Amino acid sequence: MILTDGRLDTTTLALDLPVQPSHLVVLLPAAIPVLIILLTRKSAQAFVVASLLSFLGLLAPIVLLAQQIRGGAVAAPRTIGDLPVGPGFAIPLHLQVDRLSVLVAVAVGLVSWAVQIFTRWYLYSDPRYRQFAAGVGLFTAAMQLVVLSGDMLLTLIGWELMGWCSYLLIGHESERPKARRAAYKAFMVTRIADTPLVIGLAILSLGAHSTDIDAVVAHWTHAAGGHHTALTAALLCLICAVAGKSAQVPFQDWLPDAMEGPTPASALIHAATMVAAGTVVLGKLITLLELSDTARVVLAIVASVSMVAAGILAFLQHDLKRLLAWSTVSQVALMLLGLAVVTPPDDADLGIAHLLSHAMFKALLFLMVGWLSVLVSGTTVERLSGALSKHPACRTMMGIGLLALAGVPPFVGFVSKDLIVDAAARGGIDGDLTARIAFAALVCVVLLTAAYSMRMWLILIHRTGSQRVQVRKAVEDSYQVEDVGIVEMLVDLPQVDHHGRPLDHTEPLPVVVDEDDEPFVDQQPGGGARLGLQLLSLLSVVGGALVLTPMLDVDWQHPNVWLIVASLLLMGAVALVVRMMSVGTVYGDAAARIPVLVRASASRGFDADRIYVAVVRPVIALAHAVTRVEGLLDRGVQALPRLSAGIARRSDRLHDRRPTSGLVAVSVGLVVVGLMGVVLW
Amino acid sequence: MVAALLVAPLAPIVAGLALVTGDRSVRSVSRHTAYIVSLLATVVSLVASVLIAKDRPVLNRQWVPEIGMRLHLAVDGISVPLLLMTAAIGVLVVLHARHEQPEGGTPATFFGCLLLVIGGGIATFLVQDAISFFLAFEVVLVPMWVLIGRFGDRRDARERARAAYTFVLYTVLGSTLMLIGILAMTFAAGTSDLAGIAAHPLPASGQTAVALILLIGLGIKVPMWPLHSWLPRAHTVAPTAGSMLLAAVLLKMGTYGVVRLVLAPLPEGVHRLAPYIGTLAVIGIIWGGLVCLVERSLKRLVAWSSVAHMGFVLLGMMSGTEIGLQAALYANIAHGVISALLFAVVGGLKHRWGGDDLDTVRRSLRDISPRLSLVLVIGFAASMGLPGLAGFWGEVLAIFGAWNPGGDLPDGWFHVLAAGASVGAVLAAGYALRVLWVVWQGSAHGGVPPKPEPAGDARGNEWVVADVLGAATVALGVIPIVLLHATSDAVTHLMAVAGR
Repeated sequence: MILTDGRLDTTTLALDLPVQPSHLVVLLPAAIPVLIILLTRKSAQAFVVASLLSFLGLLAPIVLLAQQIRGGAVAAPRTIGDLPVGPGFAIPLHLQVDRLSVLVAVAVGLVSWAVQIFTRWYLYSDPRYRQFAAGVGLFTAAMQLVVLSGDMLLTLIGWELMGWCSYLLIGHESERPKARRAAYKAFMVTRIADTPLVIGLAILSLGAHSTDIDAVVAHWTHAAGGHHTALTAALLCLICAVAGKSAQVPFQDWLPDAMEGPTPASALIHAATMVAAGTVVLGKLITLLELSDTARVVLAIVASVSMVAAGILAFLQHDLKRLLAWSTVSQVALMLLGLAVVTPPDDADLGIAHLLSHAMFKALLFLMVGWLSVLVSGTTVERLSGALSKHPACRTMMGIGLLALAGVPPFVGFVSKDLIVDAAARGGIDGDLTARIAFAALVCVVLLTAAYSMRMWLILIHRTGSQRVQVRKAVEDSYQVEDVGIVEMLVDLPQVDHHGRPLDHTEPLPVVVDEDDEPFVDQQPGGGARLGLQLLSLLSVVGGALVLTPMLDVDWQHPNVWLIVASLLLMGAVALVVRMMSVGTVYGDAAARIPVLVRASASRGFDADRIYVAVVRPVIALAHAVTRVEGLLDRGVQALPRLSAGIARRSDRLHDRRPTSGLVAVSVGLVVVGLMGVVLW
Repeated sequence: MVAALLVAPLAPIVAGLALVTGDRSVRSVSRHTAYIVSLLATVVSLVASVLIAKDRPVLNRQWVPEIGMRLHLAVDGISVPLLLMTAAIGVLVVLHARHEQPEGGTPATFFGCLLLVIGGGIATFLVQDAISFFLAFEVVLVPMWVLIGRFGDRRDARERARAAYTFVLYTVLGSTLMLIGILAMTFAAGTSDLAGIAAHPLPASGQTAVALILLIGLGIKVPMWPLHSWLPRAHTVAPTAGSMLLAAVLLKMGTYGVVRLVLAPLPEGVHRLAPYIGTLAVIGIIWGGLVCLVERSLKRLVAWSSVAHMGFVLLGMMSGTEIGLQAALYANIAHGVISALLFAVVGGLKHRWGGDDLDTVRRSLRDISPRLSLVLVIGFAASMGLPGLAGFWGEVLAIFGAWNPGGDLPDGWFHVLAAGASVGAVLAAGYALRVLWVVWQGSAHGGVPPKPEPAGDARGNEWVVADVLGAATVALGVIPIVLLHATSDAVTHLMAVAGR
């Protein structure tokens, strides 16, 4: 009825209402925690709220996308209005709807919805399911706020809220000390990296006398000549914060530890929110980034180092969930390079394109690993080895995810990665230092990605046929032992306790049922969750076609064919090497050929944690010192009452507790004078 | 409507006096009577305050003409939020006191002292006259002393006496200095009316001296580093209701005094002292944060976090910008709500645990007491300045204000101060998460999550109080616009007066 009275323009889909789809994109997921806390007491109720609102939260960005395509979207919707902080400074707090942000919003909505549905299956019997679903909702809302923010302060709000939600989700299983520590670490590392963020935002917005992102960009684009140092300083502050949230060197180590959270949380953090937020924020300020060569070079170096190091670490991980975590670090660095290599007048399309493709395949991979980990109860190599041979239902989707991660054409990962490599190559030929650094790192990382994707695949499909034969033989050997009578002897003898005394009651022996005898039914997520996974798989295959649409403004018509062919050949060669390395290992693990010391160290992220602890230790020492000084100060202050009490006692001793005649005279005199004063007044 | 101006402060004060004296007459007042009387008095006072906030009446009469002292009661944008907060916290404190009545004296004395503090606070925010401001300021002193000294923590009598004496001596020292400053200004201006004082400013040299005296005097109340040592002691010992009042009302009187008595009438003096006071404020932020990182007593930790948060308020005030002052007033209110919430929750925990040592291994609060844990999380998240909660706006805008200080204040030094405040915010995250780690998530090892214990969770009045404060914390964080608009005009006016 609202739509028929002329509020909806059917050609542009513009809505003439105070609440726009862009508001709903943020508000619907934000309503999940509110409603769950206020209304629900049981997991099932919470699931109804979460699934319904997250589905609507997926529809809202899709509507927004439709509006954006037809030209009916409101570009800068107001939120709570300007903050009045004086005439010289504007804080409009409005949203910003543009091409790229709408695309990212759709991806975030999709991943969040898939995660919500999947979580219900994954955490079915968890007593804290409600809290988790609420956390996912708030997390999504915070990310959507960053994505659609048109104001520096709104960006900061979403940014910090995401850190908080990551704390809640990573620490979900807080009865485990490791989860508690991982949650604390994730929040503190990102918070420390955020210290310069407020300063950076202050420099940018105070210079422009407004926190409006467009105004900031416009101001600094004009003033760049005069205040180049200030701009560079502000951008470096921002890059520091981005490195923290996106887990880049030197803040990288919180992300693999964050694997302590339930797998759906990892899917959310890694695919669409949190780590990708840095790309979104820098993407909004890409015009300023292009102005400062220093900032670009720093960003390129940080991203390159992180990318290569994370690629190596991913290959060496013993826990496949951590492998995916390090691959996230590497892939996010790739996005940031996509931002660092562009030159004016290009927009942030390259980085955002990779963000979108990464969101699809990484969400898919994490949810699939979550599924497999439920089936085999663990995510280490030993547990997951051969998991796909045993559970072929997961095979296709896992394969799609890994192919997309490795960047094999025509999967989505190939398209977005190749575009960045292309841009870096072109920039490098033009003599751009940033692009050269980026290109060198990209070459390494293309190969590393292929290597660790291949390794993971080989572990998952590892055929245990020969092992089974060996096991069967061993079992048959023990049957021969039976002939000797040892087994009967063991079975027939009366049971004894650990002191060797016979037990009175004879318990029946536990019946051992061979697993192969039972018809094994695979557990699988519900239909909705599988639909979500299939949707993510589909997009991981064909999502690359997005670059052909006008939604993304990238140069796909002139691919460097030789570069593609060369990289594909190299990837093939690397894959072959990994395959050869895996032959003959127990779990089909190519990394088993690497010395165990190296692998152990890599599992701990090359001991970066120790460096963090070493950094924090002086702060704690300082805190203790301050407390001691405080104790001294306090003792000084405590002298105050003692001093006054002492004076009082001494003066008390001075007189003999009888009013002296002089004092009486003075008192009487005072009273008389007082009376006179009152009477005469 | 003018009657509301008198009812708001007098209802609690008269009721409080009646309870305290009635308790000493023929027979003692029952606990129930004391509670009902107190609740009525605070609710009446709250209603009157709301009316005042809506209609903004003015009462301006001669009182003691010889020294130019007037009975001038009125509110503006700066005092309205403080007035409403004090009145509202007053109701909540009385509700909470019903739930948790400490030993050490009769209920009527306890409620009476609470009412006197509330009434004194309301009067402080209503008067527009420097000397009556001093009087109202002093009214709260003795009842607060009784609350700490008699109703405080029963476990350590010596510590209780010491905390009470430190509190009294410190604040009396502060008030004396403040009185000196007030008298200096009053005699120079020939009137003690605040507007009159602001209209006849002292010469520049005198301004610095008077501003210094006043800032030290009020700085004790705020508290400003290094004059803060009374605060952690007093908070640790005080009963929960007393702590809530101390944090939400008494500290606010200090900052309000800075705005009214220093910023408005002594702009040049402030300008000269701003870099130094700003430095002390930032030292306070970092100092408080560091102590909180290793503090073992939970209640003391919350008290220390107050020192840090009041640093943000002072920093915003010293930035000499409108955005900084807006931020300071916001952070002021936010701190009142957040710390009242935290003290209510932490006091409740201390009561349940029989102590508040963080090193004791306990099971996770999130599983045992879901309600308490929810408000605890909201409180500490707000305390670390998480967006969407009350603490965020004041702290971020204070840093914004300090980065670009007004007038010809040294830019470079204020950059350093802003960066220091930013570091202090990280420390806040460190200690807030430390508490959540130990208390909320539980320091016990492994095993399945413990079962909820509804009997031990917050119920009745305690739950209402925590709920209201928690909701206020969220509301202030999500809709900052209301409070910022309330203070905006008054701040612009003040900046115009001071910038003249």
